[in-house]
Amino acid sequence: MKKIAAVLMAGITAVSMCACGGASTASTTSSATASTAASAAASTAASTTASTAASTATGDGSDELTVWCWDPTFNIYAMQEAEKVYQKTDPNFKLNIVETPWADLQTALTTAGTSGDYSTLPDIFLCQDNAFQKNVKNYPDMFTDLTNSGVDFSQFGASKVAYSTVDGKNYGVPFDNGCVIGCYRTDVLQQAGYTIDDFTDITWSDFITKGKDVLAKTGQPLLSVQAGESDLIMIMLQSAGASLFDEKGSATIVDNDALKEVLSTYKELIDSGVMIQINSWDEYIATLTNAQVAGTINGCWILGSIQTAKDQSGKWDITNMPKLDKTSGATNYSNNGGSSWAVSTNSKNAELAEKFLAATFAGDTDFYATILPSSGAIATYTPAAKSDIYNEPQEFFGGDKIFSKIIGYTSKIPKNNTGVYYYEARDAVATALTNVLNGADEDSELKTAQSTVEFAMQGNGTSSS
Amino acid sequence: MSKAKRVGSYIFLSICSIFSAFPLYWMVVSATNKSTDVIAGRLIPGNYLIQNWVALLKAQKVGEAMWNSFKYSILLTLLSLFICSLAGYGFEIYHTKGKDMVMKVVLLAMMVPFAATMIPLFQMFSKAGLLNTALGFILPSISTPFLIMMFRQSARSFPHEMIDAARVDGLNEFQIFLQMFFPTMKSTYAAAMTITFMNAWNAYLWPKIIMTNGKSLTMPMLIANLKAGYVTDYGQMMLGVTLCCLPTIVIFFLLQKNFANGITGAVKG
Amino acid sequence: MADKNARVLKNGYSLEKKEKRTGWIFLMPAVILIAIMSFYPMVRALILSFQTGVGKNMAWTGLSNYIRMFQDKLFIQSLMNTFLYLLIQVPLMLVLALILATMLNNKNLRCKGLFRTLIFLPCATSLVSYAIIFRSLFANDGFVNHVLEAMGLIGTPVAWLTTTWTARLVIIIALIWRWTGYNMVFYLAGLQNIDYSVYEAAAIDGASPWTTFWKITAPLLKPTILLTAIMSTNGTLQLFDESVNLTNGGPANTTLTMSHYIYNLSFQGSPNFGYASALAFVILILVAILAFVQMKVGDTRE
Repeated sequence: MKKIAAVLMAGITAVSMCACGGASTASTTSSATASTAASAAASTAASTTASTAASTATGDGSDELTVWCWDPTFNIYAMQEAEKVYQKTDPNFKLNIVETPWADLQTALTTAGTSGDYSTLPDIFLCQDNAFQKNVKNYPDMFTDLTNSGVDFSQFGASKVAYSTVDGKNYGVPFDNGCVIGCYRTDVLQQAGYTIDDFTDITWSDFITKGKDVLAKTGQPLLSVQAGESDLIMIMLQSAGASLFDEKGSATIVDNDALKEVLSTYKELIDSGVMIQINSWDEYIATLTNAQVAGTINGCWILGSIQTAKDQSGKWDITNMPKLDKTSGATNYSNNGGSSWAVSTNSKNAELAEKFLAATFAGDTDFYATILPSSGAIATYTPAAKSDIYNEPQEFFGGDKIFSKIIGYTSKIPKNNTGVYYYEARDAVATALTNVLNGADEDSELKTAQSTVEFAMQGNGTSSS
Repeated sequence: MSKAKRVGSYIFLSICSIFSAFPLYWMVVSATNKSTDVIAGRLIPGNYLIQNWVALLKAQKVGEAMWNSFKYSILLTLLSLFICSLAGYGFEIYHTKGKDMVMKVVLLAMMVPFAATMIPLFQMFSKAGLLNTALGFILPSISTPFLIMMFRQSARSFPHEMIDAARVDGLNEFQIFLQMFFPTMKSTYAAAMTITFMNAWNAYLWPKIIMTNGKSLTMPMLIANLKAGYVTDYGQMMLGVTLCCLPTIVIFFLLQKNFANGITGAVKG
Repeated sequence: MADKNARVLKNGYSLEKKEKRTGWIFLMPAVILIAIMSFYPMVRALILSFQTGVGKNMAWTGLSNYIRMFQDKLFIQSLMNTFLYLLIQVPLMLVLALILATMLNNKNLRCKGLFRTLIFLPCATSLVSYAIIFRSLFANDGFVNHVLEAMGLIGTPVAWLTTTWTARLVIIIALIWRWTGYNMVFYLAGLQNIDYSVYEAAAIDGASPWTTFWKITAPLLKPTILLTAIMSTNGTLQLFDESVNLTNGGPANTTLTMSHYIYNLSFQGSPNFGYASALAFVILILVAILAFVQMKVGDTRE
């Protein structure tokens, strides 16, 4: 018994000493040895994660910047290439990239903003375009104003820049492209006697007619969507330049003719069988890779997932999306998602961050050419479209030059108003949609949605508008 | 127990076991399949394990995450068991009206959703300079009303005669706790250790908030990173998830003898 | 013994002053930690619940947040959803866990270790995997629909996750799947503290397994049952992960739980921490009431 007690005490003492030791080593710069040992242990074959290289504290006059973003094959990869580019002018330049999923990044921003403690924020972070209005208006002193930072915003698609523009000031350098494309299986279309051109610059009623034909002749629906998500609704709304809010920030869910047409089109798509609903993101991807549906309409970032089905190479092509029939201002172009780089006010090296972004993401077409092939990271930087790589035929897509097509679409995307309560409005409309599809009355559901959003808006008493 | 009843038991247990284990079987099988096969719902093992393994290592620092997770979980478990069992023992064996009252108040502490308390907690730790430290990681979770209550409840069955006898033998209170309570209550400690380790291992929200410099990657964070990409490789992710589940399963397997069949015998001494 | 300066308590056990003090010393580290780590933030959150605003611009608005929640249709929906889960899932799960533990405590059963491990396995899974697995199993052309169609029980695939009541059922099934093993572990540990001779005596007296269970096992297991009841109630009323990962609040918010709603208010939509804190305290009050009722009923000392 005594032995057990002795061992326990020894164990606890030893372990508590580790705790104190761990605390001090974690906070001093000797963590360099820890991280290199750890990276050796991880035995990464061709690892290019930059965070093992950098180990010193950020800012305070040195040439190092900390970046928060997600996805090693996309955003992180792009940042690493940008780092290489900038090191040509400044060999001492270093990036410390911390992989952070968007949900956690948003939590960190909210935590920092609410507690008033910005000390943990990095120099640069990636922010979803839809979240800019909300975050900047709620925590204005957390974002650095980039309007006069040397970044030439005119070189980016206007609708893209609009997301991160608040009260006329720029807060984000646009990066990944969320331009909406219509992506279809050309072999299935062919079976029904159509080509990709038959789906270019068309209206939704035309789309439904042709879709019904394809369904009859091949048994395949043209589209699949996640039930309970309002992505497609928002895409269709924005294609006509409409939004759920007006410029003043009031909710425009009721008496919104564009929204009404969108809802009835959506309903028709489901009822006709041209579009099927599934339950989750994984299922949605599965419908594409398992050839259960013959296409999809989504942001261009969906191409990455489609291309995981290697056996379908050569059988896809892209074009623009259908436009609404009756709504004025309807176009064949829209946006879904995308993100931009922001600079936090906690940055002790804001000037360096601005120069870096201006020189790479906002200034270097070669850089965009480098990252395109392996990551599929399509730029919103208009001059990048001129490089040869953007004009190369893509085998997976039947030799079509999809990248230049996408850049072309990007410049035609209508602007919309996201607003501070964007996510609340999206969710309310998704709820209304689900109920309408189950037979509820459209007008009353929209009224409910509007009142839900207004309820959320007035909850914050002294909130911004 | 009659034969029929025993067969009935076996059948019932088998059905429950299959229900419990099937989703995990799917998880392990998915780790050996290609991503497209996984979302197609393939149920038989594939031959993609090596590729998934290589892809996982390339995408994330698995070794570092495992090491960190082990480090924090073991530290947290040992400290937590010690402090909470001591408290549970104290609340029960020396119980007074006052202590019972305190216990009820302590229980309140676990009833507020973490989403509401995490920001004041973050502010406190930030001001104390405990961000990005091991101490910051484990401190909020060391003492939980749940563990205290668990030990208190189990101390209910700890016979006072043993304590009296030990006092007569000249042991002080702390020695009684270490030398009498701890060995007798092995089953409770084993159960508590499993649960605490599991919670420590799977902790996500608080570690994510407190470790902001990206140097303390844990397994749950690794999984979240895998999920956050624009293109998800499901085979690779399921492999990561399997790895994440393994330690808890192993610990349970090792410890389960202690809340296993048979007489503990310790009561009779 | 007789000359101790003792205060004799109800059960006849007496405590010396010194022992009482030792008791306090034993529980101090844990209680102090809880006071700092839990109570201090709770008080701050309480203060926040009387304010509205964003970030640094918070203003005192008294009880307005509390009054507001009665008009909040989303909150009321989430409240109903959460209570539904509580009333159905918790009793089912605890009874199942108790039955399993009792079965597995039988000396004469073989392969106990295997059964135990298999039934505990769900607890060891991380949230991410179990959400994906369940979503895939209950997909429109998922395993469950295939099996049900093959068995002839349904004609067309059931849209499990996009129909209100089936979505709720999936969550309840998922919760039972995940947490039964966890509670079983507590019961197993608790059963270990019941001396086997008690069962032998009951068998000699001719008691059937059913009687043995109700008259002997259950009463001796009361402290553990109380523990699991309080923990499960607390866990289910604060349910978060399943609502987020399985159904994301479900078809039109019909599976949304209160904690999920609070999270959305704080981190997804435009942050409204004052209101979120008020909601959090309402959860606290509900859990506390239920816990104390349970303790009143079940907290006995021998």
